Amino acid sequence: MLSNRLPTWQGARLLGSRPDFWSNWTALIALAVLCLVFGIGASHFLSAGNVEDVLTESAVLVILAVGQSFVILTAGIDLSEVAILTLGAVLLGEVVTHAGGLGIGFACLAAVAGGAAMGLLNGLTIAKVRITDFIVTLGALGVASGLALVLTSGTPTQITSNFLLRLSTGSVGPIGYPVLVAVAVVIAGHWTLFHTRFGAHVLATGGDREAARAMGVRIDRVRIAVYLISGILAGLTAVLYTARIGAAEPAPDTTLLLDAIAATVLGGVSLFGGRGTILGPAVGAVLLTALANGLTLMAVSQFYEPLVVGLVVVGAAGLMRYQRG
Amino acid sequence: MSLRARTLGIAAMGTALALLAAACGTSSPSTTSTSTGVTSSTKPSSLSIGFILKPVSNPYFAAMNQGAQAEAAKLGVPLTVDAASNLADAAGQANALSALVAHGYSCYIANPVDSTNLVQPLLQARSQHKPIVNVDLPISTSAAQAAGLQLATYIGTDNVAAGKLMATQLASMLPSGSQVAIIGGLASDPTSQARIKGFNEGAAGRLDIVQTVAGNWDRATALADATSIMETHPNLKAFFVANGDMALGVQRAIGTVGKQGKVDTTAIIGDTAVLQEVKAGTMAAVVEQFPYTIGALGVEACTAAAQGKHLPASVATPAEVVTQSNASQALAAFPKPFQSFSDPFTSLLGH
Repeated sequence: MLSNRLPTWQGARLLGSRPDFWSNWTALIALAVLCLVFGIGASHFLSAGNVEDVLTESAVLVILAVGQSFVILTAGIDLSEVAILTLGAVLLGEVVTHAGGLGIGFACLAAVAGGAAMGLLNGLTIAKVRITDFIVTLGALGVASGLALVLTSGTPTQITSNFLLRLSTGSVGPIGYPVLVAVAVVIAGHWTLFHTRFGAHVLATGGDREAARAMGVRIDRVRIAVYLISGILAGLTAVLYTARIGAAEPAPDTTLLLDAIAATVLGGVSLFGGRGTILGPAVGAVLLTALANGLTLMAVSQFYEPLVVGLVVVGAAGLMRYQRG
Repeated sequence: MSLRARTLGIAAMGTALALLAAACGTSSPSTTSTSTGVTSSTKPSSLSIGFILKPVSNPYFAAMNQGAQAEAAKLGVPLTVDAASNLADAAGQANALSALVAHGYSCYIANPVDSTNLVQPLLQARSQHKPIVNVDLPISTSAAQAAGLQLATYIGTDNVAAGKLMATQLASMLPSGSQVAIIGGLASDPTSQARIKGFNEGAAGRLDIVQTVAGNWDRATALADATSIMETHPNLKAFFVANGDMALGVQRAIGTVGKQGKVDTTAIIGDTAVLQEVKAGTMAAVVEQFPYTIGALGVEACTAAAQGKHLPASVATPAEVVTQSNASQALAAFPKPFQSFSDPFTSLLGH
């Protein structure tokens, strides 16, 4: 009988009391420290306008981190996530360019469907053909970015759509639509992970696969599902990303992939699976975005910026370790 | 099973392959070839060209590829193109060129990701007496001399001059001492560095450069950077952006914060989307370089060299300032130059 609570097979990995609690708070504490430092160093950092900017900018990364979290919680990894985003954006652009009559809604659907198809393909290859996830998603990274290049011949497609413009710039009160979408994804992800049987199966699959199998969890289905989730969310971010920059770009931004994985791990998700949350990675994504924003506001030299980002990321991870005692 | 073990495994595999590639590179024969001989083919149909390019996911190199393909089709010369997978893929690009050389072509066009990474594989090509045309990013003269590598010609554009041109244009459009921010490409990229260097030189004493950031050739990054910069510098008058793609992201940022008409955007290189913005008056100016033409000239030069013709040592492709007044002209001629440009290879090819 599987409980909806945190599964007990997590216990095997836990040392000390409630490390989840501390690792969840790590990203938040690091974010608070960062806000303090930047708040003092750059007068505009905590202004309402800039906070809105940071939240809007982080929406895409937050959603990618949620997708990545589901995969990593099963002890997998999705290296193709951002390439799927790129492919989704290109599909959106192609529909708008060549089949504009079908409407922008259909174009957005194409992006999400493309993402879902790639995710499903990843999951099936990993679970059924039994090729290791690292290789499958690395291959999918190549396939998705290659398809994006083939479809566009390497040139970005400009997309002018009132719907997308409203999506990227509109807001409810001070909260922009992209932020609302990200918040909805985080809530749905949190609910799925901790309040459904599927969520418990995800944690079980990552925690101890053999034990979970013995308990009757259908491991293959769970693994296919998490890559599908990651693909669908990548397709969704393709819509937000395209709306934000007003074009479908054929080149994947690989730093975004590394940021999504970093946000997930900073958010307390164990790379070995079975342990973690959804809120943590979401805060981790905001942290990384705020870091880039603050460094620009403080006019840190472009040559020093990667250095500082690297040190802060490792420092934040160190904080997590220290707190765990 | 663990991620760490897998990562280590892959890293080890990568290292082994890199070492292997390096070993193959250094074992190439005859590194001091001084021959100027070329293959004696005269019929274009017996010629073939190998073109090693920078990543085609970048619109600039995509345009270069298109220019080369169009020219090759026109001349009836088979063209094989291979490219680096990203702007930092120095070893991968060298390996790709080695494969091209192993296959064997009558002539090679090389646009390296850095000034030295292709020297070794190009030496293999020279040892087979095949001419080499260097386009866009110049191969280091000292490295080439040290290795005994001879190049048939260099075709490209001066990015420092382009940056300076843009600064001069912008200074004429703004009050003296106006605040300007620079959004570059990758901090380590030589093309971005050259454009920024030129802009700084041209702006000295005329414009106030308040900040320089790296936009990583990425539209979303440039958008975020521009938003932050406008937050910090409310009196900012203009952005200088290292390429048109990022400039469109900056335009987006200006629109979002409601500073249209208050903050100008200028850039080096832009596709038709950028030219449309200039024509509409929403973007102040763009300095156009002509990657399409560079690609086409590369194929012409390679064909002429393989036929044994003597080439000029270097050919500078034009850089032209486009403002609202001549944007229509530029759009009509795109992707070719709109001012007169004499092609030095036309006469060599006898048409």
